[in-house]
Amino acid sequence: MNRAVIRSEAIAKVVPTVEGELTILDGIDLEINAGETLAIVGASGSGKTTLLGILAGLDLPTGGKVFLSDNELTMMDEEQRAKVRGEHVGFVFQTFQLLGSLTALENVMLPRELRGDANAKQEAMDLLTKVGLGERTTHYPRQLSGGEQQRVAIARAFACQPTVLFADEPTGNLDTATGQKIIDLIFELNEEFATTLVLVTHDERLASRCQRTVVLDTGRIVS
Amino acid sequence: MNLRLVMRMAWRDWRSGELGLLLIALILAIGTVTSVSLFVDRLHQALISESANFLAADRYIGSSREIPEEFRVAASARGITFTDTMLFPSMVFASDEVNQLVSVKAVAPGYPLRGVLKISDEPFTPGEVTLELPELGEIWLDSRLFPSLGISLGDTVEVGFAELEVAKVLTREPDRGGSLFDLGPRLLMRIEDVPATEVVQPGSRISYRLLLKGDDSALAELKDELPLKPNFRWVSIRESSPAIGSALDRAESFLLLGGLLGVLLAGVAVALSAHRYARRHYDHVGILKTLGASANQILGGYVVLLTAVGAVSVVLGLAGGGAIHMIIVALLGSLIPIDLPMPSARPFLLGSATGLICALAFALPPLLHLKNISPMRVLHRDLGSAPASQYLSYGAAAAGSLFLLIWYSGSLWLTAWMLICTGVALGVFGMLATLLLRSGRVVGMQAGSGWRLALAGLQRRHRENVGQILIFGLAFMLLLILLLLRTSLIDEWRSQLPENAPNHFVLNVTPEQVDDLSAMLAEHSEQQGGIYPMVRGRVIEANGVDAKTWEDEHRSMEGPGPRLRSERNLTWAAKLPDDNTVVKGTWWDENETRALASLEDDYAEALGLEIGDTLRFDVAGQIVDVEITNFRHLEWESMRPNFFIIFSPGALDQIPATYMTSFFLAPEKKRFLNTLLSEFPTITVIEVDALINQVQSIIERVTQAVELVLSLVVASGCLVLIASIQASRDTRMAEHALIRTLGGSRRLIAGSLAGEFAALGFFAGIVAVVGSEFTVAMLQTQIFDLPMRIHPWLWLVAPLAGSLLILVVGLFGTRSLVSAPPMLVLRGLN
Ligand SMILES: Nc1ncnc2c1ncn2[C@@H]1O[C@H](COP(=O)(O)OP(=O)(O)O)[C@@H](O)[C@H]1O
Ligand SMILES: [Mg+2]
Repeated sequence: MNRAVIRSEAIAKVVPTVEGELTILDGIDLEINAGETLAIVGASGSGKTTLLGILAGLDLPTGGKVFLSDNELTMMDEEQRAKVRGEHVGFVFQTFQLLGSLTALENVMLPRELRGDANAKQEAMDLLTKVGLGERTTHYPRQLSGGEQQRVAIARAFACQPTVLFADEPTGNLDTATGQKIIDLIFELNEEFATTLVLVTHDERLASRCQRTVVLDTGRIVS
Repeated sequence: MNLRLVMRMAWRDWRSGELGLLLIALILAIGTVTSVSLFVDRLHQALISESANFLAADRYIGSSREIPEEFRVAASARGITFTDTMLFPSMVFASDEVNQLVSVKAVAPGYPLRGVLKISDEPFTPGEVTLELPELGEIWLDSRLFPSLGISLGDTVEVGFAELEVAKVLTREPDRGGSLFDLGPRLLMRIEDVPATEVVQPGSRISYRLLLKGDDSALAELKDELPLKPNFRWVSIRESSPAIGSALDRAESFLLLGGLLGVLLAGVAVALSAHRYARRHYDHVGILKTLGASANQILGGYVVLLTAVGAVSVVLGLAGGGAIHMIIVALLGSLIPIDLPMPSARPFLLGSATGLICALAFALPPLLHLKNISPMRVLHRDLGSAPASQYLSYGAAAAGSLFLLIWYSGSLWLTAWMLICTGVALGVFGMLATLLLRSGRVVGMQAGSGWRLALAGLQRRHRENVGQILIFGLAFMLLLILLLLRTSLIDEWRSQLPENAPNHFVLNVTPEQVDDLSAMLAEHSEQQGGIYPMVRGRVIEANGVDAKTWEDEHRSMEGPGPRLRSERNLTWAAKLPDDNTVVKGTWWDENETRALASLEDDYAEALGLEIGDTLRFDVAGQIVDVEITNFRHLEWESMRPNFFIIFSPGALDQIPATYMTSFFLAPEKKRFLNTLLSEFPTITVIEVDALINQVQSIIERVTQAVELVLSLVVASGCLVLIASIQASRDTRMAEHALIRTLGGSRRLIAGSLAGEFAALGFFAGIVAVVGSEFTVAMLQTQIFDLPMRIHPWLWLVAPLAGSLLILVVGLFGTRSLVSAPPMLVLRGLN
């Protein structure tokens, strides 16, 4: 199975600023196949996060088309894109983005609960155990270290068994050793769940663990 | 999102303290409104029934004709209690030589419907409350009749053809008020004995009254149903006792205003905490959206959540409001010795509706906005917090307030005023606050590091701070307004009834007696009013037109307004009496020789008379023609001799007059009246001390109620303060975390916080003084009919008090920010 899960055609992102129009992305064509692991690298400010947001359907480009699992995201409204995200997409963020008012377990249960899944709790427990936090289920994010918070975020990302996992500099806020463990965990789970992985990073070493790398420079793919 | 999930999320929010402030604000809003309106409602009813003592009933129907039986039937049908009384003047004979004109009141069982009678066995003593009436064949007499008739208890006197036994001294009756000067000494008898006296003849001056007691609504219906006009007058406390009526009116306006402000403050608190809740949920929603929650699911979720929070807070708020009100009643039980009637359902309805409207108008808009949060927010924090539709938020809040205000006050007029003032205040305050912040920055340049940090903090969050100054300032202003109004209302009432206001009037003093009487009064009483000549007379023609015709054509008022043809007390004076002010025309020269007249302004207006019109009087059988040269305004509440009509000194030269005066007599010196009346048997003394005491006690109670409402509004004001400090907590937290990581000490942070709050309070205080002075001036002149006053002390006290208040509450609200270890603050930010 070598079909494209994500396909973008000439996506562009232009935002108005006080000094005129700013082109953040300029004609990005990408095809990402099912099960593939792709790294998007580039200097800070090169447009990686913007691209990720558009590929995942969090944001719309100002030009071009984006397809995710045969859904043309660029033709959908926010309501429909939300549904696609719920079914197909998982996220891991640089700043973890756990809900501070929820315990670790509840954070992991959340995506399944949103779908109306009755088994949410058991699955979430299993996942937390899998990321090594089986003992910390009732703790709140502020009681966890950065690495632990990121593990919870990873468990949450896999809770819905997404088709594609998007990770935006998942180790950016962590020390090297902890970051290494987090990356290991992501790749481990990615393999287990046979997920497509799109990883944004500016760390070449990390990128080299992916099957393919695209380099972004001022909004264009340079290699 | 399904309901269970929403509830679970709500529970999680609650557990982590996120929903707490919103819930508490809503509960307090509902609780405040409920308890204020419960108390006001009950107090209002109590005051009405207390003042109804002045009528001995809730209302009465008065007429010079017999009350038709159908009136009683209609009253019974509505469950209204009633009893008949008759009032008429009559001569009483103690012996062949000794007689006296008295004012007879004949009553039937059931009288009085409100209030109590007091009787005694000795004249001029206070007496005891009684629930009885004179037996058939017996009468009770005013103290002053005993010396003037030379009788004692057990004697018999003749009233018309009946011989009646004097059984008790009547020392107090509830419906003593009314027209002071037509009141002879009282003789209380049973209505059943009236036929035997045979005094009721065609043409005799009898006033029939049907006293009524019942529900306001039943009474109102009865009033509409009966064919009252033109022969029957419907009388309530307002017509019968203007002093009490106007005190009640003002107190009601004030309580209403207090309640309104309470509602508004509570609404502001709810809006603030809802905004904070919504802002804290931006990330939350962003994450939910990346996880696949749709905008509609999110919207539905928050609507369900808000409904649940609303329902819980209505239940808790009503219960809490009820409880607070019970506590207030218990606490004030000794201060307000009126037994309060049971409350109506309205306060509870009002409380629930307040909850609903606060939730919908103040809390829903910011939550509605949450659905528009872009999921990109999780990647770029600065994204997706696109400002909530300000128009929606403010529009909804304005509409909600408007609805509540109109409903609560039942007055478009009062509401419009409040809104105009608030609008103007907000505009002016915004500019003022910006200006103050600017100047703060300049000062801050020269200040020490704590202050510099504080003032820098103030201008860094410039927009929020303008907002906070507005809110503090507005809340503070509302409190000042209430405080100032309360003070001036109470001062006004006190000044109308000073401690030693005359409480006895003397009539029928002959010119020869004037000097001796003055001397005697000067010796025994503390304060004596001026001596006025007095004659009785009535208008027979106006501008050459017969008085009855004139009245039919020009009288603008239906019902109990003044009548042109009534016999009146007339006086003359060279100088304008104290407390009177000429509002139109000019007062005459002291040496004026023409026959001129000065009319009370309302009287002139009601009868369609103008300056330059001529009146023809019949004064003791002589015809007097006068020209009207001015209108006077006078304080009817003042309990001083007041005259509708005053003549120039020359006008009544030919007419034999008697004199009247007034004096103050302390309660323990009442027996002096005995001496006085023995010395001058022909004079008439009217005691109004009981009436004045009644008025004073009502005013005192009203004052207490006013103070109570004020303190409840202060409580809502503090709530707003806390909510608005909480609203800035998160931003402050982030800043302090930064400062601490950069090495700032706790003392520095605490110092800068203190400085910031003090400055904020100071600015808010300035803003509040400006606004309240303006609004109070408006309210006083436009609504309460009081003179305008400026309060210099306020300009000093308010900014300082504002500083102190916000400093204390602010430091209390942010103490955890200062004492939390920086690590926790950093992590807590996530
Ligand atoms: N909404 C926006 N408005 C203006 N500039 C933006 C916006 N979003 C991103 N940018 C700018 O676009 C550039 C790329 O941003 P980003 O995608 O976050 O880069 P990266 O993730 O590669 O560091 C940056 O210079 C950023 O400031
Ligand atoms: Mg980035």
